[in-house]
Amino acid sequence: MKMCSGLMLLCLPALSLTLRGQGARDPAQVQASTGEAWPTYHGDYSGRHYSPLKQVTVANAKGLSLAWIYKTTSSAVGAITGGQSQGPTPPPAAGRGGGGGGATPGGPVIKSIPLMVNGVLYLSAPNHVYAVDALTGEQIWHYVWQGRNAIGNRGVGLYGNWLYVATPENSIVSLDAATGKERWNRQLVGPTAVNFSTSAPVIVRNHVLVGIGGDGGGSQSFLESLDPESGESQWKWLTTPAKGQPGSETWPNAEVAQKSAGAPWQPPTYDPQLNLLYVTTGQPTPTYNGKSREGANLYTCSVVALDPDTGKMAWYYQFSPHDTHDWDATQVPVLIDGTVGGQPRKLLALANRNGYYFLLDRTTGQSLTVRPFAASNSYDVGENRQLIPNPAKEGSPGGTLVFPDSDGAANYPAPSFSPDTGLFYVNATDAASVFYLPADPTDPTGFGRGSEWHTGLFTSRLVALDYRTGQVKWEHKYPQVAGFWSSTHPGVLTTAGGVLFSGDPSGDFVAYDAATGKTLWHARLGASLTNTPSTWMLNGKQYVVIAAGESLFGFYLQ
Amino acid sequence: MPRSRVLAAAWFALAMMTSVRSQQPAPQPVLPGGPPGAGVQAGGGRTGRDQAAVDPAAVDRGRLLFAQACSFCHGGDARGGAEGGTDLTRSPIVTGDGSATQLGEFLKVGRPEKKMPPFPMPDAQTADLAAFLRSLAAAGRGGGRGITAAVVGDATAGELFFNGAGRCATCHSVTGDLKGVGAKYPVATLQGRIVLPRGTGGYPGQGGARDGRSVKVTLPDGQIHAGTLVSISDFSLTMVDAAGLRRSIERNGSQPRVEVTDPLQAHLDMMTKLTDKDMHDVTAYLVTLK
Repeated sequence: MKMCSGLMLLCLPALSLTLRGQGARDPAQVQASTGEAWPTYHGDYSGRHYSPLKQVTVANAKGLSLAWIYKTTSSAVGAITGGQSQGPTPPPAAGRGGGGGGATPGGPVIKSIPLMVNGVLYLSAPNHVYAVDALTGEQIWHYVWQGRNAIGNRGVGLYGNWLYVATPENSIVSLDAATGKERWNRQLVGPTAVNFSTSAPVIVRNHVLVGIGGDGGGSQSFLESLDPESGESQWKWLTTPAKGQPGSETWPNAEVAQKSAGAPWQPPTYDPQLNLLYVTTGQPTPTYNGKSREGANLYTCSVVALDPDTGKMAWYYQFSPHDTHDWDATQVPVLIDGTVGGQPRKLLALANRNGYYFLLDRTTGQSLTVRPFAASNSYDVGENRQLIPNPAKEGSPGGTLVFPDSDGAANYPAPSFSPDTGLFYVNATDAASVFYLPADPTDPTGFGRGSEWHTGLFTSRLVALDYRTGQVKWEHKYPQVAGFWSSTHPGVLTTAGGVLFSGDPSGDFVAYDAATGKTLWHARLGASLTNTPSTWMLNGKQYVVIAAGESLFGFYLQ
Repeated sequence: MPRSRVLAAAWFALAMMTSVRSQQPAPQPVLPGGPPGAGVQAGGGRTGRDQAAVDPAAVDRGRLLFAQACSFCHGGDARGGAEGGTDLTRSPIVTGDGSATQLGEFLKVGRPEKKMPPFPMPDAQTADLAAFLRSLAAAGRGGGRGITAAVVGDATAGELFFNGAGRCATCHSVTGDLKGVGAKYPVATLQGRIVLPRGTGGYPGQGGARDGRSVKVTLPDGQIHAGTLVSISDFSLTMVDAAGLRRSIERNGSQPRVEVTDPLQAHLDMMTKLTDKDMHDVTAYLVTLK
């Protein structure tokens, strides 16, 4: 395939044939990734954002140079279109200033992690999918879904020769990866629901798994499994329980539970051996106002282990019981095969928006470590290593000073775990807000009339934690004040070359020594970094890829 | 109700003034000493035009539209969400036009330079959206990012804390820099600024906040540059010196020597120890300084 990538257009028919059956459908292949491809959102099923590639090393990273820049376009001119006008926003005929293949101002921001399989990158933005030649950075095809807009899309899923993408109005579209032509689309929930979809579908065997987003409240959130060929529903897991179901005792009644968001939109991770899918869930609504939803509010702000064949839950662990600060748990559940007390153990690590690092046994859900990695003042840690929220730290008429703020100590951008260093890396922010809630909140929906005044410290740090204890092994404090908050952190990538890739609040893409935190190389990309770095091999060269705004940058050693 | 409407109108006027100001070219060079965004809360007109009566059904329809199309960037409360969106309760496009025409025109093109895509929608839906957004701004008649904050503290205890354990009087004087501060800010703004007078209560970096700290750089040859920090990373810094000259300096590890001084360091040291009671009490005290 390698010789093909320079002549992509000529090779496409052959490519599509070869791709069939070589995509991401085999879990073992994704799990035991050689690093040659980046076949799924997290790179592999583990969510470690660790690559076994080692061409770029601590010693030579300073020689990284630009291979290409790809810029997205919002113009529909020349694009393959699908969908139709529905919901509140009819489609623009073309992007502003578009036409003739010329430069189009204001291409969509890239928040997705591009897949790279057989010399082709697949990336997305809301209502847009792009296939890009991984050797040259040239666009191969562009698909536009005409419909309501939104601002984030995390990426596409790949199964054999088929791509899957979620649209803002909750349709899942399947495209031919070779041509961008639409095969089918299926709307999972109607455009009247207070939902929007941003998630990257993850494929496990013959299951296309996609979690519906949206946190406005008023409708139920779910993760659905679709047949990759037909798009038919296989099963659907609802975040909040129906009347009489387990978990319903943590709500005043079923009606309240079923209107409370808890959107599971972080792409899940998966353990093929245990055959368990790890799904993290959003916050309950009304977000700031917990008065109408007394109780722990399961299964919001949790990780749940689901059987991907049935959607049945094996266990759950709730990070933030009865959340009132918008601390969803839709961070990456990172799967680590480690040792605890000298015994090999299957683990799950998560750096939560609420400021705590958690280590769980992923077979049972047992909590092993709970430790703050950022400023936090709203919890006690119970005997069973379960956080207990302090009711005095809920919003109040006079204001309550809470660490962190609602944006949290960490957010959806991916952290990384390197098995070489045994360290868990995350960009962390120390922040606070004064949270307000009127004595008699009149609006029971959405944010429940609560609000907050964001205040410092606004200190952002790249922290390296011992995965067993959550203790800080090293940290790198970014010198800039005000300008970085956790939902806009770039994610983190580590490699077997000992290099950690991430970025700072100034828009520098930075390579660090993963063992020590020493900076090795940087390039300032002219905009805030907007996704998580990824890496793969092409023609014997290791590329490292990062997005900043509408631009995707590829770097390699020349 | 009439009272709240007048106040709401005043809030709209305030929002208009401040937002219009923020659309002007950023002042160059940076004002030394002024915390980033300090001017934004200070605009002062209390007069404003009346607003059309609110239709609750339109507000409800607008809420749904908002949740679908806007909340992702602008937050569920429209005050600028986690993705860095503009605070819409302060936007003149939202609040400045009784007919919602301006909002409709704006949504047709979006704001590409700030990465806002177009959201064209029928006039009726634009009107619903505008009604909802105005209802949020109206709910925030107390100002301070639309937050209605109650004064729950003990002013006497606050005065004690101010002059004693809080050590506020080390830097501040109620007859000097804080004279009349209780009349100057809405309660939520005042309280937020007690914790840390940086930013405008939104996400960090919103409103083009600049660093504002002071910096001293000692070059290897002994030459010293000092000034107000505009931005800093591990690899470079930009400052404006006393003569107004903008200067960018490369950084490489520990070279050159860089010393950053934060005029708000005392607040940063205090805020992790500040109790809600002390915060409420100081607020109650400063509110009395009319």
